[in-house]
Amino acid sequence: MSSRNKLKRERHLATVTLVILTLWSGSAFANLKIFACEPEWGALAKEIAGSKAGIYVATGPDQDAHYIRARPSLIAKIRRANLVFCTGASLEAGWLPLLLQRGAQAAVQPGKPGNIMAADFVNTIEKPLVLDRSLGDIHPEGNPHVHLDPRNIIILAKILSKRLSIIDPSNSAYYQKRTNSFVKGWNKLIIGWNKRLNRLKGQRVAVHHRSWSYLLSWSGLREAAMLEEKPGIPPSARHLNNVLKGVKADRTMAILRTSFDDPQPSQWLMKKTGIPAIVLPFSVSREPVEGNLARLFNNILKKLENIAAKR
Amino acid sequence: MSKNLAKSSLLLLFLGLASAPILKAQNIDAIRAEIEALKNSYESRIKNLETKISVIKNQPQQQKTGTKSKATSIRNVKNNSFNPSIGIVLNGKISDYSNATSEMAGFGVAHEGERGREGLAIGETELNFSANADNRFYGSMTAAIVREDGSDKIELEEAYVETLPGLGLPGGLRVKAGRAFWSLGYLNEIHAHSDDFSDRPLPYRAYLNKGYNDDGVQVSVVLPTDRYLEVGTGLFRGDDFPFGSSTSGRSAHSAFVRTGGDVGNNTSWRLGASTLIGTTDGRKSNEDTVTFVGDSNLYAVDARVILKPSGNAKARELILQGEYFRRDEDGQYSDTENSASNVNFNDTSAGFYAQAVLKTSPSWRIGARYSKLSPADVPSGLVGTALDGAGHDPVTYSVMTDWTSSEYGRLRLQYNREEFATNDHDNQVVLQYVVSLGAHGAHPF
Repeated sequence: MSSRNKLKRERHLATVTLVILTLWSGSAFANLKIFACEPEWGALAKEIAGSKAGIYVATGPDQDAHYIRARPSLIAKIRRANLVFCTGASLEAGWLPLLLQRGAQAAVQPGKPGNIMAADFVNTIEKPLVLDRSLGDIHPEGNPHVHLDPRNIIILAKILSKRLSIIDPSNSAYYQKRTNSFVKGWNKLIIGWNKRLNRLKGQRVAVHHRSWSYLLSWSGLREAAMLEEKPGIPPSARHLNNVLKGVKADRTMAILRTSFDDPQPSQWLMKKTGIPAIVLPFSVSREPVEGNLARLFNNILKKLENIAAKR
Repeated sequence: MSKNLAKSSLLLLFLGLASAPILKAQNIDAIRAEIEALKNSYESRIKNLETKISVIKNQPQQQKTGTKSKATSIRNVKNNSFNPSIGIVLNGKISDYSNATSEMAGFGVAHEGERGREGLAIGETELNFSANADNRFYGSMTAAIVREDGSDKIELEEAYVETLPGLGLPGGLRVKAGRAFWSLGYLNEIHAHSDDFSDRPLPYRAYLNKGYNDDGVQVSVVLPTDRYLEVGTGLFRGDDFPFGSSTSGRSAHSAFVRTGGDVGNNTSWRLGASTLIGTTDGRKSNEDTVTFVGDSNLYAVDARVILKPSGNAKARELILQGEYFRRDEDGQYSDTENSASNVNFNDTSAGFYAQAVLKTSPSWRIGARYSKLSPADVPSGLVGTALDGAGHDPVTYSVMTDWTSSEYGRLRLQYNREEFATNDHDNQVVLQYVVSLGAHGAHPF
């Protein structure tokens, strides 16, 4: 067989295959599918969407969302999603754009109702004045870890509710009802938490990475030092020595880190100063469960209160 | 103030002119002294005024910088969505080879497939511009400035447009047209600077001259299945290695299928199979001394597994990767250096590599790679030519360690032992840096 003929035949085969695939893929929709980049947004989606949506969460609470690979399973999941709910502010810059380009539908692309980037809807803090990579892994849009201010959760609950109503109008009343009751309950919780904050206000903490800035700004805790000299760059011995010189042991309540931060720098500082180094929960379990978000804030406060009580 | 100044100077002038004849008799020295005193006093007053002016002048400047910084802090920089993202990759090497030459026995290898220059040398300097053209199309261009035959040349590595989901092609189809590193095996789509080793494994060097980036068009689709499944096909001009001198301008085509998934929370895998089939009217290799005319068909399977002990790519990670290639060729080989011309050839060769890279800490990685080629048995007309492997399978053993300063900077030390011909080996030591500036593509799996 001549190669020209062979070429022709294979080309036909490819065309036929693609036509079949196209027909098949058109009918593959079931119920609403939400793709959440981080577990906190998965949990919030569960609160609002309840049983009306299938929620897939791309990362777990022990993973640093800065450093995720655009792995095959994520491409497959985002391919079928009707709503993508992520943090934004460049947190997922290393993988989400690739996923959106490779697999996702037009309805979940940036700017569409099916695309929610949390940081776009809240006031971000710590926006860098100078953008230069010698300053570390900086986010031009500001600190992306917005979920640790519980007031932001209310803003996003409302946004999510609106978007769900646009995408799935037949269940609009259901989403609205759930949002109302969630917001009502959450506001009550905030009042309770605010009372507990009185004991913590003004206390100073050292942080490994600025994962806690929104928690600090809400709770009135103050940042005494950052163990990373520059965001995203592992702490150097020289910088840690500077931190050691600068930090006042009697006036600093704790050294905070997430479960995915390198424990060594905080433990070293604890050994040198006696300031307790603690791992605070940064997010909820990967499996979305109602009530988990509230438990997250309760657990964070409980841990901080325990430390404060021992002082 | 200036009015006063003018008045006093007029007075001075008047005094000087009018009083001169009347006060002739008076002591001129006294008048001179008076003038001097006046002058001094005015001079000092002018000086005072000048300092005042300069102080006032400086004040608004300070205020200005103040408001400026405030404006910067409010400025909401998202990304440069209206400008193309620009990325530059700088890389350089110092290489030491124990052997003067390095020729893969049994294979016609083109320029990019040869080992790099010895000593100090920069590698490809890549310039990339990319952006969404609008909601329907994305465009990207990558040019590499390379040293070839003693001069710096610009090679257009990629220049393509790709459809975005916004175009709404049925079933999530994606079309990519132009020149690109096409979907073939695992490494072909990836730019060499993001490889885990300083050189490409043997099958890529022998079969693809480092990478296949012909002109063409490719259609692919991620199927809406729960497990990742992507299929695609492409049609290419047939001018890039392993093809060349295409007269029809559409003499190669490809097909690929890929799947992958997760095992538990900490392991991900990917498996792919691809073909690259075509005809060449004249593929040159071995510094243009070897020519092949005929059908050249390449079949590849690739596998990649990433194990993350902590489920966190930043901390620790083990990447296992391997690819197997098989090439069927039916045509005629010529080797001008060994006076073989248009010798009929119809046979199969194969090659593979397997590698493991372990990230031991956020900044350090170690890796090992084995790659091997099995040349075809040559017909009698090609015995003794560059295509005669003489019963030897070229192999390379490599180990490397690299230090990552950030996502944008890496320093690597690599050792290779290349055994390309019987009783012949080359020990290579390479120290390499790879630094990228500006926009940086997403991390591929």
